[in-house]
Amino acid sequence: MKRTLILGVGNPILTDDGVGVRVAEAVREALPADAPVDVREASVGGLTLMETMVGYDRVILIDAFLSRGGIPGTIRRLSLEDLRTISPTRHSASAHDTSLVTALEMGRRMGLPLPDEIVIYAVEAENVTDFGEGLTPAVAAAVPQVVAAVLSEIHGHEGVLPGMQTSF
Amino acid sequence: MKRITIDPITRLEGHGKIEIFLNDEGDVANAYFMIPELRGFERFCVGRPAEEMPRITNRICGVCPEAHHMASTKALDALFHVEPSSAVKKLREMFYSAFYVTDHTTHFYALGGPDFVLGPDAPAAERNILGVIHKVGVEIGKQVIDCRQRNHHVIEMLGGRGVHPVAGMPGGWSRAITEEERQEIEEIAKANVDFALFSLKLFEDIVLGNQEYVDMILSDAYTHRTYYMGTVDEHNHVNFYDGMIRVVDPDGKEFVKYHPKDYTQHVAEHVEPWTYLKFPYLKAVGWKGFVDGKDSGVYCATPLSRLNAADGMATPRAREAYEKMYETLGSKKVNGRYQPVHYRLATHWARLIELLYAAERMLELIQDPEITDPNVRVEVTSTPDEGVGCVEAPRGTLTHHYWTDENGILTRVNLIVGTTNNYAPIAMSVKKAAQSLIKKGTVITDGLLNRIEMAFRAYDPCMACATHSLPGQMPLEVTIYDAQGRVVERLSQYVERV
Repeated sequence: MKRTLILGVGNPILTDDGVGVRVAEAVREALPADAPVDVREASVGGLTLMETMVGYDRVILIDAFLSRGGIPGTIRRLSLEDLRTISPTRHSASAHDTSLVTALEMGRRMGLPLPDEIVIYAVEAENVTDFGEGLTPAVAAAVPQVVAAVLSEIHGHEGVLPGMQTSF
Repeated sequence: MKRITIDPITRLEGHGKIEIFLNDEGDVANAYFMIPELRGFERFCVGRPAEEMPRITNRICGVCPEAHHMASTKALDALFHVEPSSAVKKLREMFYSAFYVTDHTTHFYALGGPDFVLGPDAPAAERNILGVIHKVGVEIGKQVIDCRQRNHHVIEMLGGRGVHPVAGMPGGWSRAITEEERQEIEEIAKANVDFALFSLKLFEDIVLGNQEYVDMILSDAYTHRTYYMGTVDEHNHVNFYDGMIRVVDPDGKEFVKYHPKDYTQHVAEHVEPWTYLKFPYLKAVGWKGFVDGKDSGVYCATPLSRLNAADGMATPRAREAYEKMYETLGSKKVNGRYQPVHYRLATHWARLIELLYAAERMLELIQDPEITDPNVRVEVTSTPDEGVGCVEAPRGTLTHHYWTDENGILTRVNLIVGTTNNYAPIAMSVKKAAQSLIKKGTVITDGLLNRIEMAFRAYDPCMACATHSLPGQMPLEVTIYDAQGRVVERLSQYVERV
């Protein structure tokens, strides 16, 4: 049996940045108590995020996403490879840490038992600068779809639903 | 100089923005550094019970939740008029030292180190923690991970939860430690001291052994003579958890020493039309613009500032390291104390000295017989009204100020976060870096971004708002305008949608 971690990433008090955490909460509610899956939330990035994944075979990560001109509420199912292509390697700027891609690479080189399978559900955010515990309407509307996709993913089906994007 | 007001609408894109304006000769007239400001925090808090604040504020940022948690807990002490016991203070400070060890370690190896270990001109794809490990060996990478892991374990044990601690309460701490736990933490603290000494040696070998790097530290491009702020104990030694706020002038003379609760008497905030962020400055000196020197109220609060504002370190090995840094960088002793070091890149060195101090302090405290005192809570009996709590966050002095009604419901909140103290110096450093790279219309795009990044990386500004969202690095954009306001160059690392 694969050890699976559902990881909602984001800040639950920063409006749309909380979308990953909201999805994780809803997934926890929907799962039977004895489901062989761990559900966690994390308001962190970089190395700490990588360290959270140690010991799992599979991680399904849900987070807010920001792209220029992106339409709020858009859901993307991405692989780590996708993340690698959009993580600019030209510059190493980071607020304090390093990107998840770099952190995972480092963890692997250190020989940490990290998951081979990482699936990312990214929801395009509208507002991540105002403090608030609610989501904007378009982002809130995306939550049930992402939850359904994650649940389907847990049961071994690729959780791509109509209207979902799998690239940029 | 024409004043440029930028339409605020363009400033809400949630990413770091640098705008550089050239004059008719093609030299830099001005540079602006904008960070997205998180808004509405006070409104978010008002109406909530004050005791929720240590749990709310540690969500402000994924980088230094422990610092917010501690400042908030201390604000509650003041708000409810309860004095924690000396055992509680020691327990909190020990916990806080463990946090400092992880934070400074992460910054040096993941963020600051690459500039030195690999050099500022190394390809950006290599200029990260992977490059550092590639150069200095996998063993060191393992040590970094181990260091983070063992201290996170302490933070979780004492804080009640990993990353976002929940143990702080007015006048107390929600759990004591057993003798068994004490012994375990003692071993961790010893390992931290060794690791800090090793890190300092690594820095000295790699940086001081390379004249090019030394010249870069000493170069004018990364030098500003400002006032310096930091928290000091009764001997004027650096302390992260508690003490008086001391400010020294650019010559190292004490300018003022005050209790953290009196911050509004000493620090005011200047507003610029082009950013929502306010620039704190020393009231008694006044705001003279983005300039350094004794006549300008700009001050700085970083690891280097803390060392400059103090007369020394409280622990023996850190004291040696401190003296070595000041001696090496040519600082003279005047009236028994070293003159401030103004080289911004020396902040990385200062950070490692602080790492050593945090490790030694943690060991001192965990060996203190009081640390296992089971009495870690006091009863709150006074009516709350107003309270200020202050700690040194890794990025600078952090102040939480709460006002409540008689039921402890928040009516007003004010925070001055560590990074805010440094906005003016960061803006100045960014401008200086741009000026050294852009001459007579020649824009050196290659390496420009990194040199500018280096300028603010030394300050380790906390822009955690940008770290939460994927792809997980700070989206930074540099735009260069000519004298007519036309865009001549745009360097971006934002995700472009195809």
